[in-house]
Amino acid sequence: MAEQFAIEMKGITKTFGSVVANNKVELNLKKGEILALLGENGSGKTTLMNMLSGIYQPDQGEIRVDGKPVTIASPEDAKALGIGMVHQHFKLVEVFSAADNIWMGKEKAGFLLKKDRYAQIQAMAAKFGFELDPSKKVYNMAVSEKQTLEIIKVLYYGAKVIILDEPTAVLTVQEIEKLFQVLRKMREDGHSIIIITHKLNEVLELSDRVAILRKGEYIGTVETKDTNEQELTEFMVGRKVDLNIERPVVEKTRPLLEIRDLTIRNDEGAVAIDHVNFYIRGGEILGVAGIAGCGQKELCEAIAGLRPIEGGQMIHKGDNIVGLSPKAILDKGIAMSFIPEDRLGMGLAPSMSITDNMLLKNYADSKGIFVDRDLGRADAQHVIENLGVVTPSTETPVRRLSGGNVQKVLLGREIKAGPNVIVTAYPVRGLDINSSYAIYHILNEQKKSGVGILFVGEDLDVMMALCDKIMVLCHGRMMGVVHAHKVTKEELGLMMTGSLDLSHRYEDKPAGFAKDTNFVQTDEEVEP
Amino acid sequence: MSIHVVKRDSLSFGKKVLIYLGAVAAALILGGLLLLAMGVDPVAYYSRMFTMGMIGNKIAYKAAENYLKIFVPLVVTSVALSLAFKMRFWNIGGEGQFILGAVAAATVAFQLGPILPQPVTLLLMCLAGMLCAGLYGVMVAALKVKFGTSETLLTLMLNYVALYFITFLGETQAAWNFYLDEESVRPIFANFSKIVSFPSIPIGKFGLNVCVIFAVLIGILIYVYLKYTKQGYEIAVVGDSPGTAHYAGMKVNRIILRTVFLSACLIGLAAAFKVGTVGILSTTVTDDVGWTGIIVAWLAQLNTIAIFVISALIGVLQYGSTAAAATFAQVDSSFADMLQGAILFLVLAADFLIRFRVVFAKKGGLTNGNG
Repeated sequence: MAEQFAIEMKGITKTFGSVVANNKVELNLKKGEILALLGENGSGKTTLMNMLSGIYQPDQGEIRVDGKPVTIASPEDAKALGIGMVHQHFKLVEVFSAADNIWMGKEKAGFLLKKDRYAQIQAMAAKFGFELDPSKKVYNMAVSEKQTLEIIKVLYYGAKVIILDEPTAVLTVQEIEKLFQVLRKMREDGHSIIIITHKLNEVLELSDRVAILRKGEYIGTVETKDTNEQELTEFMVGRKVDLNIERPVVEKTRPLLEIRDLTIRNDEGAVAIDHVNFYIRGGEILGVAGIAGCGQKELCEAIAGLRPIEGGQMIHKGDNIVGLSPKAILDKGIAMSFIPEDRLGMGLAPSMSITDNMLLKNYADSKGIFVDRDLGRADAQHVIENLGVVTPSTETPVRRLSGGNVQKVLLGREIKAGPNVIVTAYPVRGLDINSSYAIYHILNEQKKSGVGILFVGEDLDVMMALCDKIMVLCHGRMMGVVHAHKVTKEELGLMMTGSLDLSHRYEDKPAGFAKDTNFVQTDEEVEP
Repeated sequence: MSIHVVKRDSLSFGKKVLIYLGAVAAALILGGLLLLAMGVDPVAYYSRMFTMGMIGNKIAYKAAENYLKIFVPLVVTSVALSLAFKMRFWNIGGEGQFILGAVAAATVAFQLGPILPQPVTLLLMCLAGMLCAGLYGVMVAALKVKFGTSETLLTLMLNYVALYFITFLGETQAAWNFYLDEESVRPIFANFSKIVSFPSIPIGKFGLNVCVIFAVLIGILIYVYLKYTKQGYEIAVVGDSPGTAHYAGMKVNRIILRTVFLSACLIGLAAAFKVGTVGILSTTVTDDVGWTGIIVAWLAQLNTIAIFVISALIGVLQYGSTAAAATFAQVDSSFADMLQGAILFLVLAADFLIRFRVVFAKKGGLTNGNG
């Protein structure tokens, strides 16, 4: 083939211990194309790209840039070859301005910081259609701005090949659209782009070709226009997967948990949740959508009794639970599982066994001074069997399990206690498709048995398919509660950014405010 | 050709032990080279050291008794420290807590010893030592819980406060200072072993100090405490993930205070055992157990049983080097400290080999792009 590739990777193998992260992977990137690198978590996408950007070196294989074999031993080498990577976790100096973050990597910039750097970088950003204030400090920036800055930084150093690692994970719908426009413009200017993702709709919308990895193996590369979501999923997972998320219709019961006029402050003392009203009925899943850090964590913590509230009421089956201890709230049947970004820091003790983790919330219930490990072992066995946790034994440290199994253990423990309200935040965070669907299934089972579920999520598509209603938060304010099957993604996006406020649409009946507060009657009111 | 460091998956128990033994052997060889340089026969020195001069000695039982006097404070302190370490509370204030415990126990011995029956005095000595040391330790925990101060810095600094306090007691001649010997012109600590001391159980000529039995009992209790009780479970969770402990509804601050208090109390008890056995205070009363205990706890990876084994071995090093110094005058007994340091260093280095292996990247299959 006479075609000149910007990047060719041939027979790349990389192992970490006995784990083969990449096994004889082939990847070609044409000049001026957007290549999507698709694969589930742990399929070796990031490892492969880290070898392009000089963070790792391959154990075997060859990398060619513009047809010439090269050695990329460090990020410096990658920079010299015109390869730039925007990492999932930004690498910026928080206290520096945007311009200085770009400037500090420049070698021949001289000893002094010159005033004209702001103008230069401004001009540079404008050329690609970015909006950026070069003198703005990074700690004042929103996530999307930081990402923009990272991309400009890469472009500034003359990268012709740009790698983006899961760039859309942290953005809203509108911001994603904007990013895609920028990427298309960069493609027109002759840049070659690799975008790592596991979101199929984005792949189909943006890319020219798709390369698929599965468990470190190279599956193949296809033209985007010749493929579809179903086919890509099969490549990615290795078998047919039903992509429809079930939303069983369950008879809803009276509200189990009612939140009235709730105000909470975050750790810094700023208002995190601002006069929020909503309720959860038994047999429904209420989704909570919002940009990261708009008060979801504080809300979950407050309900679980882990964070003092500023004002308002939280009523569970007619009893006020404000001021109760976490243990007392748990005993009332409110279970909370929060999956933080590191996925282990809250809810599980990573070095301890599954048995010990099962005991976390009820170890104190057994009589005497000793921990009842037999009980924990039985529970662990139960969860392992019921939820299909893959583990050598009940005594395996949770840290050694894969992400999906860790989350099953966590959810299993919460469900085991027989709760009537489950608060779950990001339960599928970082999970592959199979594990995610397993978790959705678990939640639906709970819903069918009459449990009320508050589902704090990230993926709007999933929430629209799984939840009955979705509450949208923006900077701690509730922008409205909408029916999941009626709302559009664009509407949700607008609500998340605060441009659309539905909370006062019905002046007489504020949305999300429980009307049936008289708990004696169990009638079903028709919701607006 | 390049060198890679690759993570190991797992290693059998036997291989691990072999690697650690290799590290100890390497340290001994290193020490042996030094001995050679000093013109001492390493084999002769080591055999004298490891037998603690007991072979061919008519009063070998004395050596065993003295060895146990070193072993008891060390093992109790190490066990105590492992409690706090298990919770990831870096108590490096064992020295200071030990000194305060020792002074408190000595105070009881001087003031109440002549009045009360011996068993009561001994019990009160233990309680006083535990309480003072416990409070000295829990103070740091309280500051950490309340203001988020670093326990590492505070416990470290408080070691010196305690050291200067006992130095002050030892050098200040005054009417109130009952710690000093009244007969002596120079300020020296008074000996109270005539008034009160821990009894020994005679086994033939050998006298087994009751403190040894107590130490073993403490070891068993702490082992059970950490492994099977609710409080032990709480300590493990807080140490592993404070966020999780909080989410599970545990009162994390109370657990920290309780555990640090217990840890420091036990160090105070070790101090009471020590002064109740030797019958005198001194500025070197700790024998550095507050430091050595840290090493022991880590070498044992906080396993109570392993702490007993390692304390016993380190005791052999320390006591053996003193015994060997009697024969080999040119080798100071602080040679043991050096050897101990070398062993620690090499065992930690061996840890690296247990967790990783070094491989040489080979060229194979296709050419290596980074050759």
